[in-house]
Amino acid sequence: MSPGNFPKPAPVVFEASALKKEFDDGRVAALQGVDFTISEGEFVALVGPSGSGKTTLLNMLGLLDSPSAGSLRYRGSEMEALPDPSRYRAREVGFIFQAFHLLPTFTVAENVQIPMFGQGMAPKVRAARAAELLDSVGLSHRLGHLPVKLSGGERQRAAIARSLANRPGVLLADEPTGNLDSQNAVQVMQLLANLQREHHTTLILVTHDAEIAGHASRILRMKDGRIVSGGTGG
Amino acid sequence: MKMQAMNGGNFQTCLARSEAVPRQAVTFLTIVFRDLWRRPLRTALTIVGIAIGIAAVIALVGMAAGYEKGIVKQLDVIGIDVIVSNMEGGLLPKAFDESIAGKIAALPDVAEVTTVLMQMLSVEAAPMIMVSGRAWGGFTWEKLEVVEGRLPIDRAEAAVVLGTMAAEMLGKKVGDTIQIETEEFAVVGIVDGHSLVENGAVILSLPLFQQASGYEGRVNFVDIRVPAGANRERIEALCRTIEENFEGLRAVRSSEVVGTSQGFKIAKAMSWSTSLLAIIVGIFGVMNTMLMTVFERTHEIGILLALGWKKRMIVGLILCEAAVLGVLGGILGVLLGAATLAILGTLPEVRGLLEPDLSWGLIVQAVLIAVGVGIASGLYPAWRGSRLSPSVALQG
Repeated sequence: MSPGNFPKPAPVVFEASALKKEFDDGRVAALQGVDFTISEGEFVALVGPSGSGKTTLLNMLGLLDSPSAGSLRYRGSEMEALPDPSRYRAREVGFIFQAFHLLPTFTVAENVQIPMFGQGMAPKVRAARAAELLDSVGLSHRLGHLPVKLSGGERQRAAIARSLANRPGVLLADEPTGNLDSQNAVQVMQLLANLQREHHTTLILVTHDAEIAGHASRILRMKDGRIVSGGTGG
Repeated sequence: MKMQAMNGGNFQTCLARSEAVPRQAVTFLTIVFRDLWRRPLRTALTIVGIAIGIAAVIALVGMAAGYEKGIVKQLDVIGIDVIVSNMEGGLLPKAFDESIAGKIAALPDVAEVTTVLMQMLSVEAAPMIMVSGRAWGGFTWEKLEVVEGRLPIDRAEAAVVLGTMAAEMLGKKVGDTIQIETEEFAVVGIVDGHSLVENGAVILSLPLFQQASGYEGRVNFVDIRVPAGANRERIEALCRTIEENFEGLRAVRSSEVVGTSQGFKIAKAMSWSTSLLAIIVGIFGVMNTMLMTVFERTHEIGILLALGWKKRMIVGLILCEAAVLGVLGGILGVLLGAATLAILGTLPEVRGLLEPDLSWGLIVQAVLIAVGVGIASGLYPAWRGSRLSPSVALQG
């Protein structure tokens, strides 16, 4: 077989090297030198006990927080040097939170439009796209409802629709099924897995649940601020 | 279709197939108003706080402007070109020797001279009314139009004429008597002086008023008419001549009386400085509201930042909310101020002295001040909001 016949490796999306994060003036070390790579289109589950640094790492991947030391690169560029963190959060990544984090005084359709602000879209275009996204997650009948009127599963589906608002290449999900019953958890995971597969989206998901982690193509195990297995993609 | 994506259907197809859907477009202003509406009572109280400040501006400045306008109109109606008065005094200047009028009459570019002694007195039912003693035969009597009765027969007749509004305020008619200080006078006529100040005055012959008020031989105004065709330069030269020759007196063109009067300046400064206090209270009120809003919405600001909102969008949102509070407070303040002015205009202490003036210029000025108050008050909360770390803010 000639070298040209090998499949071309997927581009690296995230690359971390000796990544550290300390809180409370160094008294708490949340990440203690983490190394990993994540390639485009991967579905990576970040698993580990509470306090192992999963959410801290996810926050750094979403530029919600910055490292104390080490290097974290996004598509080859040092993330800390990215000129516009808000643009990165708006266009490159989509967040899905355990607590949904929908704005309570806005309807479901309005919540989905919130990330589209500042992206040069006309209000009608935003509304149409929100409606399409909500239709795609099975919430077309809930557009005008406030989040409080929705079940947990519906709220998380609305949050997933919101995360897709600006067609991000990366989805960052922090315990997306943590507040859901098992039936809704299965539905939400199926939805996320399908989205990831169809759009070749890079999905990084934090979970405690081994069954949920089983959906992932790679499991990155963390303990005490370190990656204990799965740090290198295959 | 809706569950296709969840069940493994093609997500893209799903998007493409979505049919006509309700368009619930949300705009930046929707967000602003929604945020303000979530605490309606607090928002309303903040608006009322600003409105009170703006109403104070409207009422106080409107009163001062009304007084100014009344004087200007009076001078215009009577046809006075130059007014000579003492530099000392408050709203009404200090009295001086009336013989100066004869010397002024001899100056070039003086066509006519007359003297006036004007005092604000408490007269019978009126707590404060303008009493104007005028040199008999002087041009200040010319424009008084008798609507009932007559003018005094001569300078010695113990009689007064009342401006239409003064008659109403005092409850007097022709044939009644009126007591000024310790003297009693007959009301012989009701006159229309074609200006608020004239119509709000009690008018009598100068010597009678000098005697009644204890100002014998003294006046506080010398009114001058210049010859027809005298230009501004000649009038200003006349003013300079008077000021150089008569120490302590000030001569100004009638159009500049209001602008140069110390009394008017003080009244204006007081009305604005009192308004400023009200405005400062308004600023702290809005700032308090906006700071509480930022503290309460820390979590939501974190969500917005996590969703890609720029810090300047957060700043814009908070400033816009503060500005909307300012606009609404400004509009309500103008309405409250206009109502206050209308009520003040009916008070016996005010009627006949001034006609409250609510000009478009003042309205625009007041609303702009309210918007400025809103924005200025929102600056610090907006800065606080924009400095929140998304990850910390998300934790609430």
